[in-house]
Amino acid sequence: MTLISLVYLGFFAAAALINYLLPRVVRPYFLLIANYAFYCYSPENRPLALVLAGATLVTWVCGFVIGKSRNKALRVIFLLLAVGGGIGILLYYKYWNMLADALAGLTGGAVPHLNLIAPLGLSYFTFAALSYTIDVFRKRCRVEPNLLHYAMFVSFFPTMITGPIERYPHLRPQIQASRRFSYSRCAGGLFRILWGYMKKMVIADNLSRYVGFVYGAPDTMNGPNLVAATVLFAIQLYMDFSGCCDIALGVARILGYDLIENFNSPFEATSFSEFWARWHISMTGWFRDYVYIPLGGSRCGMARRLLNILIVFLVSGLWHGADWRYLMWGLFCGVASAIGRATFPVRKRLWRYNPLYRADWLRVLLQRCITFLLFILSLVFFAGALYNADPYAVYAGMVQGWQNAWDSVRTTLYDTGIDGRLPVVLTCAAAIVLAAESHGRSVARWIRRQNFVLRWTLYYAAGAAILCFGAFGQSAFIYQQF
Amino acid sequence: MASRPPVPQPPQHIHRARGGVAAPPRPAKPARRSRPPRKPRRYTLWGRFWLGFVRRLYFGSKTLIKLALCLPILAFMVWFSYTVDRSGLFQGELAPRRIVDLMLQGYDVTNFDSMDEREVVQLYAQDVAETPEVIAVGSSRILQFNRELVGVDSFFNMGVTGADVRDNMTSYYKMITYGKAPKVLIWSVDPWVFYDSENAFDERADADLYNEFLTKVLGVPTDYEEPDPVELWKALAEPAYFQGNVDYFVKNRGQSTVTDDDGNTIEFNPVEGDPFDQSTNIKRSDGSILYNVEFRNQTQEQILAQAAAACSTFNSVHMEGFNELSQTQLDAFDAFIRYARDQGTTVILVLSPWHPYLYNYLLGETELHQGFFQVENWLRQYCADNDVPLYGSYDPACVEGIEEMDFFDGLHCKDTGIRKFFPGVPAVLEAIQTDSLPDPLAVTPRTTAPVPEGAEDGTGDAAAATAEDAA
Repeated sequence: MTLISLVYLGFFAAAALINYLLPRVVRPYFLLIANYAFYCYSPENRPLALVLAGATLVTWVCGFVIGKSRNKALRVIFLLLAVGGGIGILLYYKYWNMLADALAGLTGGAVPHLNLIAPLGLSYFTFAALSYTIDVFRKRCRVEPNLLHYAMFVSFFPTMITGPIERYPHLRPQIQASRRFSYSRCAGGLFRILWGYMKKMVIADNLSRYVGFVYGAPDTMNGPNLVAATVLFAIQLYMDFSGCCDIALGVARILGYDLIENFNSPFEATSFSEFWARWHISMTGWFRDYVYIPLGGSRCGMARRLLNILIVFLVSGLWHGADWRYLMWGLFCGVASAIGRATFPVRKRLWRYNPLYRADWLRVLLQRCITFLLFILSLVFFAGALYNADPYAVYAGMVQGWQNAWDSVRTTLYDTGIDGRLPVVLTCAAAIVLAAESHGRSVARWIRRQNFVLRWTLYYAAGAAILCFGAFGQSAFIYQQF
Repeated sequence: MASRPPVPQPPQHIHRARGGVAAPPRPAKPARRSRPPRKPRRYTLWGRFWLGFVRRLYFGSKTLIKLALCLPILAFMVWFSYTVDRSGLFQGELAPRRIVDLMLQGYDVTNFDSMDEREVVQLYAQDVAETPEVIAVGSSRILQFNRELVGVDSFFNMGVTGADVRDNMTSYYKMITYGKAPKVLIWSVDPWVFYDSENAFDERADADLYNEFLTKVLGVPTDYEEPDPVELWKALAEPAYFQGNVDYFVKNRGQSTVTDDDGNTIEFNPVEGDPFDQSTNIKRSDGSILYNVEFRNQTQEQILAQAAAACSTFNSVHMEGFNELSQTQLDAFDAFIRYARDQGTTVILVLSPWHPYLYNYLLGETELHQGFFQVENWLRQYCADNDVPLYGSYDPACVEGIEEMDFFDGLHCKDTGIRKFFPGVPAVLEAIQTDSLPDPLAVTPRTTAPVPEGAEDGTGDAAAATAEDAA
């Protein structure tokens, strides 16, 4: 059941309706049933629901023991058990083949590959469950005595496909005291969903045609097309992922739950480190709290600190999939962030000598451009992994064939169906979205403050944009596979 | 005991009025006891239930009303998709739609040879506002029947080129399904109607519709399965289809030509000038065909050459291996006639004659055309038994006064020829009224022995020689 299917919308509408018809005490239990129904909708996921249930049970029991015990050794043992279990599931389902290859390379023997189907939302629910156990261990979260409440948190269906990776302390009060129905929340949530669909279907899916085409055969593409595809891939990825998060947040909001915001105008970041504080916030936050800080975080020497940054990005790259290109992407981001962090004091001192930095707006603009440039350079590895392309060939191809650059890009755009009015529509739509979300502005909140006529005109415009320019029957969300 | 010094009084504010008289101070209000916070009202179980119910009802209806404001978008999408319908899911293909639109406006339409005639018939049945009183079904051999020949203005010729039995029956069935049963049905019965073989069928015919007709109407079991109408109508709510329609609409808006899905121009236009002076075949507004002027004005030799050419290919027209009448098809034929009568339709059967040269040729090899030669006699007997009006004959010798110049080629009879065996619908209806229909059994077509034509005057040999030369 993908988020852009009528089945999903129907399922969600039914779940929301029944949820609000029930007394508030019962709602979390009903939602738990709905979560598992959602999970088991697809036949291949049905047996894998046991993995979800198993991970939930193990982490809850471990959390319970950790929270109730005063014996430190026991607490540590159960923490290790929970963390080992969670990471074990991840390794088994996502990285077995990669580990087998590595092991075979080391030992010279043959380790069999397993063609396993990863459970839906594996990376998201394991991280959510692990965060609970670790928080209980650190005493940042009280033990949850109600297994069903906890199970509802781990399996919450709006976050199951592409996150955000929730934390139990954030969701717990919302589960324990379900909200009354609020028309305003519902309307805001619906617009958030509409906004998400617009970003996904109008912008991301149309761009994916061109990006997929270019990255499908990068050897045959010239420099301008490779550069254009990489730039557009950055836009596509943002629209795709943030659109999906908008849908998830909107759905959860209608059901009465506020989730973590996953994006905060990332393209407005003025440094690479800041970029990662604005992009996929729930994941970077998770790695910060559970990897970076335990490694020492910023409270250690510069060398160690930079190493920590590097490790976090490498793990983050690996989280995306068992592919060396994701690892390289993580390494690229890690190195760029580490260099940025290491050179920041020096660079800041040099600003006053840079004539371009005299005007603040120009400095911010240049910094944003450089950050964006770094990001799209890193994305070559990411897109390479996604479209199974050789990233080095893409880098090499980017500097070749710049004669008639515009014509060749235009021709390829037309060949991939982005013709007629679509380029203008896509440009305007992307600009509107980026401007509307500028400075972390909540479009849903803003639109709720407008008068009836303007509000409904905008609703209709968004609906019409999806109907007229949305790419229907396109691929699922990019982050769904992670 | 010394008295205590007096306790100084606190200073008092003196309120002075204008008149210089001090007003007494306002007595202090007694301190009010602060009221304890009001306890929330406790509702009984039923009270809470009703409160929750009313609350849900209020917010539910409010949400539904707001959601209903989105309905115009959906309604517009459905309306637009249905109206534009670029793939012809609901209103037929674009080109046939244009043809039918023109015909319904009374225009003759060019480019007959490129038409999907079956689709045109289907759409005509669907779109015609007033049910025609008379329709004609059959192959291209009936396409010469027009309003003048039939003698009725409210007439539509639903014949299609290469029609097999399925086309014949489904053309009529389409009218019935749209609730437009005609008063009179003229059926030009071709011999292959009684042949139950793949060879007798035309691949362009709508086999599914025929199976539906057999199963649902005539009760003949087939592999027909009721199609799921939901699947089709789902397209109306399909955004992708809506987008296609928007593209198509924007592309063709304000243009004089219409293009299909592949961007090809649809060139079906109203006939300009004298329809009888056209260089291409045209479809008349009554469904009949008007051949191009060159074809219509062929010399006798040219016609004979066409007839001679048809001799060797005769069986290939749906009659390969036709040795005997199929009982299944005979039953289906009978069931169809009864069905049409049940619908209140008068059925008039017509046997369009073959070119004399061709017929004579066939008589020379009867063993190769056994099925063909059985048809007319069976049909005559059937019509006699069931009081079905029958006009014409496959054997041109049985049509009084018909001659070679009354044909376009071996198969197709001109209007001049048709007039010689078909008196027009009003006359037929009058004959039915007065019980003066011609006896079908009064005519005996030649079927068994070849008759050397022109044995007395030798014209047959001359004609044959000319035809062979021409061929």
